[in-house]
Amino acid sequence: MQILIYILKRILQTIPLLIIVSLISFFIIRLSPVDPLAELRLNPSVSKETLQRETERLGLDKPIIVQYGKWAKSFIKGDLGVTSNGEKVSTKLKERIPNTLLLTSIVIFLAWFVGIPLGVLAAINWKTPFDRILTVLTSIGMAIPSFFFAVLLLIFAVKTGWFPVGGLTSSNFLEMTFLQKVCDITHHLVLPVTVLFTLSLAGLQRQMRGNLLDVLDSDYVKFARAKGLSEGKVIFKHALRNAVNPLITLLGFEFAGLLSGAALTEYVFQYPGLGRLILEAVLRSDINLVMASLMMGAVMLILGNLIADILLIITDPRIREGSQA
Amino acid sequence: MKRVIYVILVLVFTALFFKACLRADIPIYKQQSANMNHSYILDYYPYKKKNVTINGVDYLQSQAPVGKFGGTFVSSTIGEGPKTFNPFNSKDNISSQMSDIMYDGLVTTDPVTGDTIPKLAKDFTINGCEYLIHLRKGIKWSDGKPITADDVVFTWQNIIFDGFGNTSIRDSIIIDGKLPTVQKIDDYTVKFTTPQPFAPFIRMLSSPIAPKHIFEPAVKRGKAYFDGFLSTNTPPKDFVTSGAFKLKEYVPAQRVVFERNPDYYIINKDDKKLPYLDKLIYLIVGDINNQVLKFEGGELDEISLQGANVARFKEMEKHGDFTVYNLGPNTGTMYIAMNLNNRKDDNGKYYVNPKKQLWFQDKNFRQAVDYAIDRENMIFNIANGLAEPLFTPETLNSIFLNENIKGHKRDLSISKQLLKKSGFYWDKSGNLIDKFGNHVEFDLYTNAGNTEREAIGVMVKQDLEDLGMKINFKPIEFNSLVNKLMATLDWDMVIMGFTGSPLEPNGGKNVWLSDGTLHIFNQRLEKDLNSKRYPFEERIDYLYTQGALATKFEDRKKYYDEYQQIVYNEKPLIYIYSPIIISALRDKFKNVYPTSLGGVTHNIEEIYVSEE
Repeated sequence: MQILIYILKRILQTIPLLIIVSLISFFIIRLSPVDPLAELRLNPSVSKETLQRETERLGLDKPIIVQYGKWAKSFIKGDLGVTSNGEKVSTKLKERIPNTLLLTSIVIFLAWFVGIPLGVLAAINWKTPFDRILTVLTSIGMAIPSFFFAVLLLIFAVKTGWFPVGGLTSSNFLEMTFLQKVCDITHHLVLPVTVLFTLSLAGLQRQMRGNLLDVLDSDYVKFARAKGLSEGKVIFKHALRNAVNPLITLLGFEFAGLLSGAALTEYVFQYPGLGRLILEAVLRSDINLVMASLMMGAVMLILGNLIADILLIITDPRIREGSQA
Repeated sequence: MKRVIYVILVLVFTALFFKACLRADIPIYKQQSANMNHSYILDYYPYKKKNVTINGVDYLQSQAPVGKFGGTFVSSTIGEGPKTFNPFNSKDNISSQMSDIMYDGLVTTDPVTGDTIPKLAKDFTINGCEYLIHLRKGIKWSDGKPITADDVVFTWQNIIFDGFGNTSIRDSIIIDGKLPTVQKIDDYTVKFTTPQPFAPFIRMLSSPIAPKHIFEPAVKRGKAYFDGFLSTNTPPKDFVTSGAFKLKEYVPAQRVVFERNPDYYIINKDDKKLPYLDKLIYLIVGDINNQVLKFEGGELDEISLQGANVARFKEMEKHGDFTVYNLGPNTGTMYIAMNLNNRKDDNGKYYVNPKKQLWFQDKNFRQAVDYAIDRENMIFNIANGLAEPLFTPETLNSIFLNENIKGHKRDLSISKQLLKKSGFYWDKSGNLIDKFGNHVEFDLYTNAGNTEREAIGVMVKQDLEDLGMKINFKPIEFNSLVNKLMATLDWDMVIMGFTGSPLEPNGGKNVWLSDGTLHIFNQRLEKDLNSKRYPFEERIDYLYTQGALATKFEDRKKYYDEYQQIVYNEKPLIYIYSPIIISALRDKFKNVYPTSLGGVTHNIEEIYVSEE
């Protein structure tokens, strides 16, 4: 019950937050000197009438407040509006969301299932060559910029011919059997996943290692060891549970990054995901599309934090007690 | 100590790793790139298609060598891909390109001479204001229904004249507020009548013809519905088309796949129906770099190249499976404009500082600027030698190009003489002073982010500073620049570019008519539309109007020649250069005859694959 009230409170808190986010984003986009019609204006074959019609269609002839009001009204009704090309924003997003989700969820899944054990192993084998080598590798992984790494891998793909140069499916995808389709997508995913995986693995492994080392140094672990518990029990039953708390917060952020975290890599690999769509929309000042994506990002972030907080309440009795007090 | 060794080891490893990623074997091909200029395009396509009638069907017969059926051609487009597949809604190049593949027009352009030649029409005759079009008998839409005069009349009357979709065609054929008319004579004959003779009209007939039985219901539901009709979300099987290829699949942000139309009306010399290719694929790529990688990785069959890549591809061509083609100058025109505005804004203030007006409105000053600009140097350093100097508003591949304008090299002594004639002089430190004692100093704008124009700006600044002018070069954001040029009009000099048309000068009327919406060097706002014209503006107004009214090519050419001569003498816009289009295409494709006007794929239905 307590938790339910807490969740409800948090959800109510998000409403003013979303309003502020939308107001700021809307005004920044509209006040920036990007004119969605600038290209048309400088095209010798576009007539004045056409320009006038386009201005009216995009609502650019009205004051910003009115534009915002119109946008907010339809947003509340669940209508995301149309892009500057007249396509529905929701269908545009629907085309891309599955692709991005596919990429990011594979990456997060891999990173967590490899990163956490590696972190634990490194912490247990603290200061051994194994730990040192991992430290060097993860430092490289954290230091290398994602777009640069992506470009390197692309060149690798071109030179060796082992991997396709970007994209998600081959051009004869339509004629493949189901199994071939799965193989084809996997083949295309290897490189982008490698880039994103390397980055998030490095961070996660370092985090896990640091947390566990802190905990292993604490008094109750020493006590458990003194009590004569087996090393396995000490680490997995006592230490790990306490070390994982900060990672849950991290998980919240990872959740927020599900839809927006891979934009750079998507762009380099020409991956048909949200990142590319939104980048192009920003360049064109396609207000409805940009707003939809910004709002989506905000909602995902809030939701991720909420989920993390709830998970924390479940795993950590200290917070549970605290919230009741 | 051990630690130090570790650190060094790691550093060495990293350094080696990065070294391995670098291509050490990139020689400098400067000489090579300059050579490209001379391997001129052949503009060779000797296979004019013929009309033949077999069993009552009026086919168009290809005269090119007979090839093999099958195969795929993979090309690419940069950007977001098509926004619509409705040929009447397309507002961007890629959408029009895609719908042009699917829907044929009545006429098309000869890839070598630029003449208008029949396509969906069997033939046509022009008699003053009357255009009589005969259609092919027995040819069909992709759903088997015949293509008749009803479709043509419907397309022109109910879609184009009634203002559905993108109205740019409609806007450009309104003459004195009146539209042409279209009339069905019989099932296979249509007559168009323009209110007065209007030469550009015949080229407008190349716009696609829509199947009436598919488009009529959409038109009946109004303009708002039509805007979303046949969008990119429409299932491919719903398209009823007439082109060589029909839509098979569209995957957003990845590719557009076309398959051959098995019932196309162009046949080869063995009377078999073309096209040869089974599939035509356009990959949607985000930027040029990715496009180049995809070509090198073998995923693309054709690519257009720029800058440093040309030299690299020329080198790779020797042992590669592709050929690099020079397609001649492109249709872009880059120019320097000076603000000739002599009017006041609403607050009674001059748009252009009066002392600067004195310079910009002085023909000698403008010519001096022209002579001071080193086009050759720019071409060599900025365009990697892959461009031709430009002196006229018509592009170098235009069929209306005034060949008598030869241009000139940079000559500072002529510049100085011209300036002296107008009373300019130089002070002791070499600064240029006008006759009222003002130092010549002004701002030069261009749009930031366009590296080519920024580089040109830097060189123009240097060239003009050799004359003792002081130039403040200010690249600013594109939209702010457009606002300056179109609304606030407070600018001195600008470097911009337009896309011209090699076939129809009348497309530039918004630029050259003195009340045009893009009359950039002397933009008249709504309130100033009746302000005084410069004599040369009046003359160009006259020539442009007459040029559109005359119908014979020779007559039109005279008017447009004179306008180019005036622009060359008066220098309202100082043209700089035209980049050359370079394309690479895999050698396995045969029947390839690239031309300057048609590009590589103008005869896509005749191209076939032969692995030898």
